[in-house]
Amino acid sequence: MATNIAAQRIKREFKEVIKSEEVAQCSIKVELVNDSCVELKGEIAGPPDTPYEGGNFVLEIKIPETYPFNPPKVRFTTKIWHPNISSVTGAICLDILKDQWAAAMTLRTVLLSLQALLSAAEPDDPQDAVVAKQYKEHPEMFRQTAKHWTSAYAGGPCKMPELDEKIRRLTDMGVDEHNARVALSSYDWDLERATEQIFS
Amino acid sequence: MDSEEETLYDDIDSGNESSGDDVDFAMDVESSNPIERTADTDEYPFEVLSTEEIVQHMVDCIKDVNTVVEIPATTTRILLNHFKWDKEKLMERFYDGDQEKLFTEAHVINPFTKTSALIKNRPQIKTNATEECGVCFMALPASMMTGLECGHRFCTSCWGEYLTTKIMEEGVGQTIACAAHACDILVDDANVMRLIKDSKVKLKYQHLITNSFVECNRLLRWCPSPDCNNAIKVQYVESKPVTCKCNHTFCFNCGENWHDPVKCRLLRKWIKKCDDDSETSNWIAANTKECPKCNVTIEKDGGCNHMICKNSCKTEFCWVCLGPWQPHGSSWYNCNRYDEEDAKVARDAQEKSRAALQRYLFYCNRYMNHMQSLKFENKLYSSVKEKMEEMQQHNMSWIEVQFLKKAVDILCLCRQTLMYTYVFAYYLQKNNQSVLFEDNQRDLESATECLSEYLERDITSENLADIKQKVQDKYRYCDSRRKVLLEHVHEGYEKDWWDYLD
Repeated sequence: MATNIAAQRIKREFKEVIKSEEVAQCSIKVELVNDSCVELKGEIAGPPDTPYEGGNFVLEIKIPETYPFNPPKVRFTTKIWHPNISSVTGAICLDILKDQWAAAMTLRTVLLSLQALLSAAEPDDPQDAVVAKQYKEHPEMFRQTAKHWTSAYAGGPCKMPELDEKIRRLTDMGVDEHNARVALSSYDWDLERATEQIFS
Repeated sequence: MDSEEETLYDDIDSGNESSGDDVDFAMDVESSNPIERTADTDEYPFEVLSTEEIVQHMVDCIKDVNTVVEIPATTTRILLNHFKWDKEKLMERFYDGDQEKLFTEAHVINPFTKTSALIKNRPQIKTNATEECGVCFMALPASMMTGLECGHRFCTSCWGEYLTTKIMEEGVGQTIACAAHACDILVDDANVMRLIKDSKVKLKYQHLITNSFVECNRLLRWCPSPDCNNAIKVQYVESKPVTCKCNHTFCFNCGENWHDPVKCRLLRKWIKKCDDDSETSNWIAANTKECPKCNVTIEKDGGCNHMICKNSCKTEFCWVCLGPWQPHGSSWYNCNRYDEEDAKVARDAQEKSRAALQRYLFYCNRYMNHMQSLKFENKLYSSVKEKMEEMQQHNMSWIEVQFLKKAVDILCLCRQTLMYTYVFAYYLQKNNQSVLFEDNQRDLESATECLSEYLERDITSENLADIKQKVQDKYRYCDSRRKVLLEHVHEGYEKDWWDYLD
């Protein structure tokens, strides 16, 4: 019975998202991965006036059998630099995806909440401690880093030659580009410390 | 326990002690629990409450408050739970403080302003119109929709599903909120019981809401045995044995198995110690030494006795004498520096810690051993039952063979007491009375082992007549020795004889 509700709900919600204004404005999108309604692919646009502006972030959405009485399992598949999202796994720390989930919420409200999370981070309740620390201690550095990640992984417009140059210094030494970016981001773009960490 | 039961209980007790007559045992079997007959329990009145009775007790508490505050009972329950069932605190806040704030904090709609909230929130629907349920998105007739005072409405089957998920998966009872997003108004028990159809879920819910009631209430304690849903209610809290209807006997004060003669505080300390150390410390004692400087534990995995501590202190020392390595030079193999002052200090320190460990292991082994035996005696019950049946075939009457069961009962009691005497003894400082205690303990232990041997090995259908007398004498002796030991310890508590090592 529960599964019936889940499938029925997803079909209805799917229509709701497609018809919604946000889709018309291209700010959210949902696609079925296969016909089963168990796995979906979501997409949200980086909100304006944030380091994520201009980026497109892809989400993996898994619908549990007990949906909508339990929340959908959502994570970012696009790499992102954000205090409440793991830079490694894309796992999200957001109350409505955990204990604050309510059966009356929908995929649309979840996607909009995630978009809101991108504009207003909660650094005191972090998923990624390294990012949260940078966010609180060096806000400008955080902004630069997040912008850089948006352009590197989410198709963001801002090129940052200075940061790219530092990454190139490491890739020239044979370091994988993503590893180089992670190390530099984690050490506030201090080339020396990042190098030390990679080769230790 | 009601008065009728209590008199029955007293009768049996005195009957056993004075006469030891076979006829009494027939009555014993009816009471069926060995621990229930312990003579050393002074009267300690208690009641066993089933889940329904706990609910009733809770309802009575709610009524008490309700006669004063006059709001719906379901709201009162939520308020009482908010104040951890402290009636006085609730009354105080209800009459002295800001009531609106009180209701908001407890996540209920103020019953005095309810009607206005309803009109504000609920959409006006004609009776024959349909509404869309916000959970399953089906358009349903209004009669199938329902909601709380907050005005959020969903269809009854979604409500049922929602509540079931909360109760069965998340184990939430008292604090299930409305299913709408960001609405924190709590679902009251009347609505839950109305919306849930499955009796299993209902039972779990009842248990969940009673759980916090029992846990907040000093005079109530859950029976700790697995799968038992009863609670014990007492009139005052004391470290005394109580027996649940499921036959489990435990200490009301701490919830552990009944542990006379040791006190709750020391037993808790002991259990923690056992959990921390046990076998690991045993192995460490046998196979390692400590670095004489930083005391890190070292396992020797090679032949060389020139040790260099790897725990960053880098001390160089001799494994054999624990003295510094330097003076050993090249003649390490016949370590001839035994009297070196440094080495002596290091060895003394180690001997001391090892002695403490040895002492703990001594008591721990005996404690564990009796615990293990106690588990085996439960098997003895079934083998004794077989023997009793066999004897009845050999023209003995039912009454005549009951002594065997009685003997196992006593054996279990003695084992349990002995087990806890080792905890008591571990923390006890030596004095004249403690020597006396140890004599009592030794006496009881040897008599208990003897009884155990009779029951496990020596009974055959041929020697039954002799052995019956022997067994009866022995268990009476054990029982009396056990009482003597416990009384001695209790007297010591009263007269302040016992000094503890902690």
